[in-house]
Amino acid sequence: MHKKVLMLIFLILLIFLSTSSTMAEQITLKFMGWEASPLETNSIKTGLNEFMTANPDIKVEYTPVPFDEFHSKLLTMMAGNSAPDVFFLASAFYRDFAARNVLVDLTDKVDSQIGIDNFIPSSQTKMLVNNKIYGVSSCTVSPVLFYNKNLFDKANLSYPPADPAKMWNWDKFVDVAKKLTIKSGKRTQQFGVFGFQNFWWTTVLSNGASVFTDDYSKITLQEPAAQEALQKIVDLRKKDGVAPAGNFLENSGMNTAQMLQTGKVAMVVDGSWALQELAKMDFPIGVAPLPKLKDTITTGQAHLHAIWKGSKHKEAAWKLVKFLSSSKYQTNLVKVGLWMPNRKAMYTPEGIKKWYNPKVHPANFKALTDYFLNAKLEPSVIAPQEAWDVLTTEELEKIWYANQPVKEVTESMQDRINNLLNQ
Amino acid sequence: MTKKLEKIIYNNYFWVAIFLLPNFLGFLIFILLPVLASFGLSFTKWDLLGEINFVGLANYQNLISDSTFWKVLWNTIYYTLGTVPLGIIISLMLAIILNKKIKGVKIFRAVYFLPVISSTVAVAMVWQWIYNPQFGLLNYILSLFNITGPSWLTSTTWAMPAVIITSIWKGLGFNMLLFLAGLQGIPNTYYEAAEIDGAGSWAKFSKITLPLLSPTMFFVIIMSIINSFQVFDQIYIMTGGGPARSTSVLVHYLYQNAFEYFRMGQASPIAYVLFFLVFIVTLVQLRNSKKWVVY
Repeated sequence: MHKKVLMLIFLILLIFLSTSSTMAEQITLKFMGWEASPLETNSIKTGLNEFMTANPDIKVEYTPVPFDEFHSKLLTMMAGNSAPDVFFLASAFYRDFAARNVLVDLTDKVDSQIGIDNFIPSSQTKMLVNNKIYGVSSCTVSPVLFYNKNLFDKANLSYPPADPAKMWNWDKFVDVAKKLTIKSGKRTQQFGVFGFQNFWWTTVLSNGASVFTDDYSKITLQEPAAQEALQKIVDLRKKDGVAPAGNFLENSGMNTAQMLQTGKVAMVVDGSWALQELAKMDFPIGVAPLPKLKDTITTGQAHLHAIWKGSKHKEAAWKLVKFLSSSKYQTNLVKVGLWMPNRKAMYTPEGIKKWYNPKVHPANFKALTDYFLNAKLEPSVIAPQEAWDVLTTEELEKIWYANQPVKEVTESMQDRINNLLNQ
Repeated sequence: MTKKLEKIIYNNYFWVAIFLLPNFLGFLIFILLPVLASFGLSFTKWDLLGEINFVGLANYQNLISDSTFWKVLWNTIYYTLGTVPLGIIISLMLAIILNKKIKGVKIFRAVYFLPVISSTVAVAMVWQWIYNPQFGLLNYILSLFNITGPSWLTSTTWAMPAVIITSIWKGLGFNMLLFLAGLQGIPNTYYEAAEIDGAGSWAKFSKITLPLLSPTMFFVIIMSIINSFQVFDQIYIMTGGGPARSTSVLVHYLYQNAFEYFRMGQASPIAYVLFFLVFIVTLVQLRNSKKWVVY
C-alpha cells in the first residue's frame, strides 16, 4: 500500500517535471509583417506551420499590421523595448533602421550559411550597407508592362515582344498606344497605357540618365537626359493623349488588374506582383519589358527579413529568417505570380523549371526572366526616406498634377533634395 | 475602528479623491505627461531610439525658415475658413427646417445625423469615388449641365475644396443636433407675442431666434474651429496631404515629421504652434462673446 502511494507520487512528479521542462524549452518568437495580399498572408501562415513542425521547440506568433503604419509602429515598439523578434522591413526603410543600430548584424551568418553571391545583383546591393548585412532579401519584384491580349486582337495589332532585346523603342510604343486609345466624343473610353508616372525612374534610367549621383549625395534629374525622360511621361497624357491622369487607379477604387480586365486601359505598367491577381482573371494577359528610350531596363526591390537587436532568442530568430529566405519557401509565392526569385540559381533553365507555372506565367514569360535577373536596384532603396518622399510626393507632383514645366521643377528642387540627401 | 481611520472614512474629500482617481490617472498618464514631455522634446533632437540631444531653440528656428510649414499653416487656415462658416450656416438652416412639424421629420433628422456616426475612413472612401474624374457621381452630374468637372482630388486647386465639402457634409448632423436642441429650448410664447405685435418671419428670426440661440451658436463656433484646426483623418485618407502638399495641414505635417521621418524634436514645436493658435483664437472669442452672447 505504502509503496503504491509512493509510486503514484513519483509518477505525478515525473509527469509534472517533464511537462514543465518542455514548457521551459519552447521558445515563442514574435514575427511582424504586413499584408500585401490575403494570399501572401496565407502562404506565410502555411510556411510558418511547416517551420514549426520542423522546429518543435520554436513557436512563431505572426501579426500582420497595415503597411502604412507598419514602420512607425515598429519603431515605437523598439523605443518601448517590446519589438517583435523577427519582422519585415520595406527596402526603402531598411537603411534607416540599419543606421539606427537596432538590427542584428547578420553578415557572418549570411556569408557562411547562404552566401551573398548567390543572390541576384539588385538583391545584393539592396542587402549590403557598408559591406554589412542586417536583413535578408525576401524576393524581388520589378515593374513590367502588362497588357490585355483581347484588346490587341480587336485592334489587329501584334503583341509587344517579351524578349528584352527585341522590345519596342518609345516611339513605336507611343504609336501602338495611340491605336489602342478609343474615344467617344470628348470622353476617352479606353486608354492606351497607364502607370509610367508611378514608376517614373525606370524611364529616366532607360534614357541613360540617373536619379542621383552614384554616391547619392546629389540629385541629377535636372540633367537634360533625365528631363527629356520625364517630359516623355508627361507627353503621354498631355500631348499624345494615350494616358489618363496619375491617380486614375486610386480614384476609381480599381486596381491595375481590374482596369485591364474591364478594358479601361490596354497596357499597364505595374509591379510584377500584379501577375498573381491577373492570372486568376478570365482574359488572356501578356507581360513584356518596359519600352526603351536608350536601354531596356527595369529596377528591382522587395522587403527584407530582419532581427531585432533586443531579441532574447537571436538563434531561433535566425533559424526563422533563414527559413523565410530559403528558395523552397520563396518558390511557393513565385509559383502563384506574387514574387520573383532572388537567387541566381533560380534563373538557369533548371532553376526556372522549379517555379515556372503555366497556369500563372504567360507562355512567353521565360523570354523575360533575364530582365528580372539583371534589374538595377530601385533608387528609393538607398536614398534617405525623407528625400525620396519629398521628391516623389511634393516636387514631382508639381509636374504631374499642377502642370508645372519639367525644367522649372527639376531645377528649383535641387537645393532642397540635396540638403535632405546629406542630412 | 481607530479614530484616525474613522476620520478618513467620513471625510468627503477622501471619497471625492477616490472616485476621481481613475479618471485623473488616465488624464495624467495619457495626456498631461505626454504634453509636458513633448514640450521638453521640442528643444531636442531625437529619433525615438538614439540619444536625446538638447538643441535649444533650433527646432523653432527651423520651423520659421521652413517654407513647407508656412504652406501647411496656410492650408489649415484655408480649411478652417472653408468649413466653419459654411458648415454652421447650412446646419442652422437644416435645424430650422427640421424643427418644423413636417411628416417624417424624425427620419430626416436621423438621415442627416448618419454621416456623424459613420466612420471617417468609410466616408472618405465613398467620397473618393464621388470625386473620381472619370466615373465619379459629381462629375457625372456636372456633365449633365455641360460642365467638365475637374479631377478633384488630384488637382492642386480643387483638392482642398473637395476635402472641405466632405468635412462639411460629415459634420453637418452634429451641429444640426445642437442647434435643434437650442431651438427647442426657445419658448413659443415669445413668437406668439411677436406675432401679435406684427413681426414678420425675418424679424422673428433675427430678433428672437438668433439672440436666444447665441449660447448654442457660441459653443458650436468654438468647437468647430478647434476641430477644424485639428483635422487629420479625412485628409490622411483622401489625399495623403497631396497633390504637391496642397492639402497638407498642421497635424498631417506633424504626423509626417514624427512617424514618417522620425524627427520627434521637429514635430513637437508644430504641436505647440497648433496649441497656441487654438488658444488665442478661443481666447479672442471668449472676450468677444460678451458682446453678442445672451444668457
